[in-house]
Amino acid sequence: MIEVVDLVKHYRASDGSVVRAVDGISFAVAAGEMVGLLGANGAGKTTTLRVLATLLTPTSGTAFVGGRDVRTDPVGVRRRLGYVSATTGVPDRLTPREVFDSFGRLHGLDPAVRAARVERLLDVLDLRSCAERPAGRLSSGQRQRVSVGRALVHDPPALVLDEPTSALDVIGSRDLLALLGDLRTEGHAILLSTHRLHEIENRCDRFVVIHGGRVVAAGTREDLVAAAPAGGPPTLEAAFFAAIESPAVGGGA
Amino acid sequence: MTTTDGGRQGSLRAALAIARRDLVEFVRDRRTLIVALILPVAMYPMLALSTALGLRTAATEIQAERAPTRIAVALVGDGAAALAGRITAVDAASGTAPRPVWPAAIRLDVVAAAEAKRMVEAGEADVWLEVPADCGRLLDESGTVVLPVHWSDKRPPAARVQDQFTAVMTAVADEARQRRLAAAGVPAAFLEPLRLEFPQEAAAAAAPKQIVPIVAGGVLVLLAVLTLTGAFYPAIDAIAGEKERGTIETLLIAPCAARDIVCGKFLAVFTITLATLIVNVASIGATAAVAGRYLPAGLSLALPRGVAWPAVVGVVAFTGLAALASATCLAVTTAAKSGKEAQNTLTPVILLVSALAGTALLPGMRAASPMAAVPFAGQVLVARTAFDEAGGGVIGPLAATLVSSLLLTWLLLGATASMLTDEDILFRGPDAATRGLARPGRRDQPTVVEGIVPLVAGLAALWYAQGLTPDDLTLAIPLQQLLTVLGPLALALWWQRVNRVRTFSFRWPWSRSPAGGGRGAAAAVGGAALVGAGVFGLGAAALLAVKGTSLSAEAEDLNRRLLGLMLARPTWLAWCLMAVVPAVCEELLFRGWVLAAFTSGGRSGWRLTAAVIAQAACFALFHLLPERMPQTFALGLAVGAMTLATRSILPAIVCHLVHNSMPLALVTLAGGREAVAAAVEAGDSIGGLAGIPPWAVAAAAVGTVCGIAMLVAGTRAARAADPARSGEP
Repeated sequence: MIEVVDLVKHYRASDGSVVRAVDGISFAVAAGEMVGLLGANGAGKTTTLRVLATLLTPTSGTAFVGGRDVRTDPVGVRRRLGYVSATTGVPDRLTPREVFDSFGRLHGLDPAVRAARVERLLDVLDLRSCAERPAGRLSSGQRQRVSVGRALVHDPPALVLDEPTSALDVIGSRDLLALLGDLRTEGHAILLSTHRLHEIENRCDRFVVIHGGRVVAAGTREDLVAAAPAGGPPTLEAAFFAAIESPAVGGGA
Repeated sequence: MTTTDGGRQGSLRAALAIARRDLVEFVRDRRTLIVALILPVAMYPMLALSTALGLRTAATEIQAERAPTRIAVALVGDGAAALAGRITAVDAASGTAPRPVWPAAIRLDVVAAAEAKRMVEAGEADVWLEVPADCGRLLDESGTVVLPVHWSDKRPPAARVQDQFTAVMTAVADEARQRRLAAAGVPAAFLEPLRLEFPQEAAAAAAPKQIVPIVAGGVLVLLAVLTLTGAFYPAIDAIAGEKERGTIETLLIAPCAARDIVCGKFLAVFTITLATLIVNVASIGATAAVAGRYLPAGLSLALPRGVAWPAVVGVVAFTGLAALASATCLAVTTAAKSGKEAQNTLTPVILLVSALAGTALLPGMRAASPMAAVPFAGQVLVARTAFDEAGGGVIGPLAATLVSSLLLTWLLLGATASMLTDEDILFRGPDAATRGLARPGRRDQPTVVEGIVPLVAGLAALWYAQGLTPDDLTLAIPLQQLLTVLGPLALALWWQRVNRVRTFSFRWPWSRSPAGGGRGAAAAVGGAALVGAGVFGLGAAALLAVKGTSLSAEAEDLNRRLLGLMLARPTWLAWCLMAVVPAVCEELLFRGWVLAAFTSGGRSGWRLTAAVIAQAACFALFHLLPERMPQTFALGLAVGAMTLATRSILPAIVCHLVHNSMPLALVTLAGGREAVAAAVEAGDSIGGLAGIPPWAVAAAAVGTVCGIAMLVAGTRAARAADPARSGEP
């Protein structure tokens, strides 16, 4: 459902130098699968997710969502993708119902389908009680749920989330991850990045670790733990550190 | 998924969905409502009330200034009594034939000189007169009575006292003149061989004076600025506000193109701006209806043929202005990352729009001129003309201003869409102002903002150069080019570390193509030379056809100085100053720096078109004189297009050089410098240039077409020979 192929993204820094934010990474996420994209700050996670969301154009290589190429059919990709990031906000002066409805219109949903989808999202995301309250007066958790609902309103088969729990408390994070688990069960392909490894350690099917713009490790939790040097704790966090600090990993962000 | 069709229908659906969403947000923003609705409702009545009260006060003061007053005159000398008698008689006669200026009462005192001086110093008399002894005889017989009039230096008589005293003494002189004519047996009509009578004068004087044409200009400028402010907050909220709230990404990942998003946002901003305009117009109308009661007597807000038609013309013209204002505010705020940054970028726009709108009030501005197409000035000018002339003769200018508004709106929205998806703008860090004094990194071409900076500096320098440079063009031209073109360009070039070869297109024409080389370069240079000559000929013919020989004083002065340069200096020096120096300097700035900056965002067809039009407009503006702007704009279009087509600045320099060399060539054709100098001395038109013969116009047209054909053929050959460029515009 989501496929990244030899993706390269270079920026030109203000001093004129070239920054290799993503330097030839490849991975895939199948339908009904939840994959965690891990990496330190500056590793290239956000750039990768922004390319998938068609917000950035690849320097070379490409990515596919639902079989649509981000380079040649960005609108097709957007129809099949829901995207949420930690910095994604919601319009302060619109209510959750209006946010869902306006994005349903943007996606061209028929009025009846749109209305049904809005009501379902209000229930699923537990926003019914604040459905008519302007988003500016909602709590951080409620706003994040509105943001997720906005990304789901067109029922996309693929979902990309960039640090979706970073602004949430423990309860909010638990609820959101539980929702994502339900969506995976329904058949959505989910790719999410986070720094809170313990939250997703037992929720994701697979992990992709990137460092310096390159994939340095990939596989299930067990694969990563097994690949780590012996003697350390058998946790995802230890495996992550082992992957990015391995002598074989050159360069940096 | 259940979605409707894509394509054009999908674009419209997306744009309408965004417009609807943004409108809901706008109307829930208190600032928008205050600026769009409450400000106009409150402002016009307050302005009208203060203006009307001011007018009434001024009218009362003027009336008091003209009101008859008591004047006191002290008469000194042996003839004082006789003159006092004459004055008394004239004053008595004025009761039967009232005069417009006459005192309410005259007090006459025949006294000694010392007493007269004391009286004026004490304020008991306004003036004192020295009356000669034979005053009465001289008045009756012949000669001129000289009457020295004295007053106190410390207490000079008021202006109305002086006027009324002068009127009395003039009446005494008239009476004496009548006596002399009667004594000589000459009829009174002898001194009045002709008298003009104006039967309507009384009716016209009785009719109230219409003040709409007087105040319309100021009100229209205010309306233009307030209409712009209607777009202010919605535009800030539309894109910069979305970035600040972190919601812009949610729109950019919607299944539509960036232009659809921009169209939706434009529709929302335009709706609010239009609402602002409508509320403003309604407030003006309601205020005017009431303001009549507060006006002083003799003033009226009515127009002879009514205000309906001028109002319709004004609203239509200002609808274009509202669209342009919305697009301008959106374009200017798109690069901002926060509301505060957007407000900072909009502040100079308000000043610029106010200045542009204000130019429509300058004397001599007419709607039937290229000014009608100037943004923000044209709309005010057309509406003002409609009120001045009760709506007559404004259809053409109205169409011109609407077309101009639509074209500029389209260009601005295209630029907005381009900036909206620009990765550097979208994801750059905190405001770049934090490193304002740090030199930017090396890059291939300057950015749009960096391209505009030397232009603005050059325009400012142009103002000083106009005042500081000497009259003699031998010094003025190099100094002006140095101050306004080379200086700002050198500073920009030093500060911005760009690739100079790419920025200035320092290459031979089509040098990267296998079809380039000597023949290609020769074809490009030859074509450019023909276009330069042709544009000059066609431009001169068009100017003569439209304006005739009645140019503005500034244009006449420039022509005189250029002619002086051509006739008084060696031909090689005049050629260098008129053609070589401007061609090289201005092409480096406009077709080098500015064009590179305007094309830095990408090389798609519409972007290149917009860049060529924008730099040509800047080039025309740089030449200041309105008469020269159409021709310089056309030249700017031609050289801009050929620079992009040939990827070389050389054809542009050659084209400009030939264009500017044409006046010297014409002097040669007209018989040489001596013959032209003799013709000028004799007062003839310069070598018969008052009218360009049809054959010359035809030759210019043929030259232009041939030149364009050579350039197009060369470009096609270059593309055909270089498949890598075949997809480029």
